[in-house]
Amino acid sequence: MEHLPYQNIKEQLQSCRSKEETFKALVTLSKTLIRLTPEDKIDSNLVKGCETAVWLIIDRTNNIPQFKADSDAKLMRGILVTILSLIEGRSTHEIQSMDLSSELAQLNLGSYLTQSRTNGVLSILKKIAQT
Amino acid sequence: MVFDPHSIRQEFPILQQPAYEHELVYLDNAATTQKPIFVLERLLGYYQTTNANVHRGAHFLSDQATSQFERARETVARFINASEKGQVIWSKGTTEAINMVAYGIEHLLDPEDEILISSLEHHANLVPWQQLAFRTGARLRVIPFTSDGLWQPEYANYFSDRTKVVACTQVSNAIGVQLPIQEVIHHAKQVNAITLIDGAQAVAHYSIDVSQLDCDFYVFSGHKMYGPTGIGVLYGKTDALDSLLPSQTGGEMVLHVTYQATEFNILPYRLEAGTPNIEGAIGLAAACEYLQKHDREAILQWEQFLVQRVHSLLENRTDIEIYSPRDNSTLVSLSVKTAHIMDLNNYLDSKGIAVRGGSHCAHPLMAQLGVSGTLRASFACYNTIEEAEHFANTLLEAAELLSED
Ligand SMILES: Cc1ncc(COP(=O)(O)O)c(C=O)c1O
Repeated sequence: MEHLPYQNIKEQLQSCRSKEETFKALVTLSKTLIRLTPEDKIDSNLVKGCETAVWLIIDRTNNIPQFKADSDAKLMRGILVTILSLIEGRSTHEIQSMDLSSELAQLNLGSYLTQSRTNGVLSILKKIAQT
Repeated sequence: MVFDPHSIRQEFPILQQPAYEHELVYLDNAATTQKPIFVLERLLGYYQTTNANVHRGAHFLSDQATSQFERARETVARFINASEKGQVIWSKGTTEAINMVAYGIEHLLDPEDEILISSLEHHANLVPWQQLAFRTGARLRVIPFTSDGLWQPEYANYFSDRTKVVACTQVSNAIGVQLPIQEVIHHAKQVNAITLIDGAQAVAHYSIDVSQLDCDFYVFSGHKMYGPTGIGVLYGKTDALDSLLPSQTGGEMVLHVTYQATEFNILPYRLEAGTPNIEGAIGLAAACEYLQKHDREAILQWEQFLVQRVHSLLENRTDIEIYSPRDNSTLVSLSVKTAHIMDLNNYLDSKGIAVRGGSHCAHPLMAQLGVSGTLRASFACYNTIEEAEHFANTLLEAAELLSED
């Protein structure tokens, strides 16, 4: 399935009126993630600091980096779809000048982000912003 | 069932509030229980009428605070049937109490010695012993309990003249099973080993009789038995406590100090450096009184009944694996084959149901079970049958929702 444009995702998530609706929206989004192959799901691709396993592969050979990501939890896959749609097609320089966490903070993800100590969204953003 | 949780429930103000747009269903009691008004009022009352530092100086409030604080020690001693109040040492909680012992007996260990634990321990009753082993050269050995917690005759082989310490939990926080601590203590005594029982998950549910158990140390936390956080107990037999070196030194624990030397105070003060958690001790004593005002056996049967009810709603599902026992457990620990623990946890949360998903501070046990974590619903006196059923039905709903791809 094709990723939705970030604006669409943003509108969808912002229209959620409860934690329950956000949960279901993220589960629906999770279905659009292109899953990693088992060969890509290796420890060196794991993002540290996540309670749920998150693999993130960044190919920076071109000016516009290519991202591949996966998780064993559906909600996290929904969050990954959201994050990827926000940064895909942008140059490293562009991504680094964005304030990713305050952008995500506008999405009604509330407790899914504040749990970042365990779910590791912050670690994901850090890895994305590295050069 | 004769027990009715609805009236007890009224005594817990926190349970009256919603979670998101739902009724709050609190099933994370093994992590910490909620506090009844009886305990909350005692805490407030202490600060409103009594607050002063203890054991220091003669003035009206200090005398009152000291006598309340020492009465709290007596209450707790009676609650666990310790023979003397001086056998109750205050700690921050279970973790600190275990560390007080693990550091306190370091001078007694040699590299030939062995420290024995069960395979069902919380990290709190594992890491301090592992680190003690590293410091002393002693060897940490693990009795490989199966998840039914039953004693097997071959476990006796783990006990020998080398066994110096045996530390075992009474109830597993991760899978709810009770361990055969009587057998463990019995075998430990045959080889003159020091025994420590981790009662963190037991005190809220079972009557504890340390004199009958005859262990050297028994440890628990106030916050898991309707008391405040930041207070716990190290119970020890007098000679066992006497053998501990204080892991912390400073004020309160001394009789006389010169620049050359310090004469330590007697028990229990010798092991309580600094200003103690006075409000915590008083709150914990209130929690003991609170529990003793109720029919504890009836509460336990009720909690176990709720667990059985959850089992009967879930046990015919082939996609659900339950790791905790159906009978004699106050918690349910499970996983769903087609759903991630954190997804289940979050779905239940979105419905106002508080449970705990994860490894429950027991990584080696999770490895033994072959899972990265479980979902745990743990019950307390104020949980209703409706809550138990709501948990089970919502879990099934989550399993449905999360299984489609
Ligand atoms: C069996 C067991 N032991 C030890 C502990 C640690 O207790 P505390 O964090 O209060 O020190 C816990 C708490 O989760 C527990 O369940």
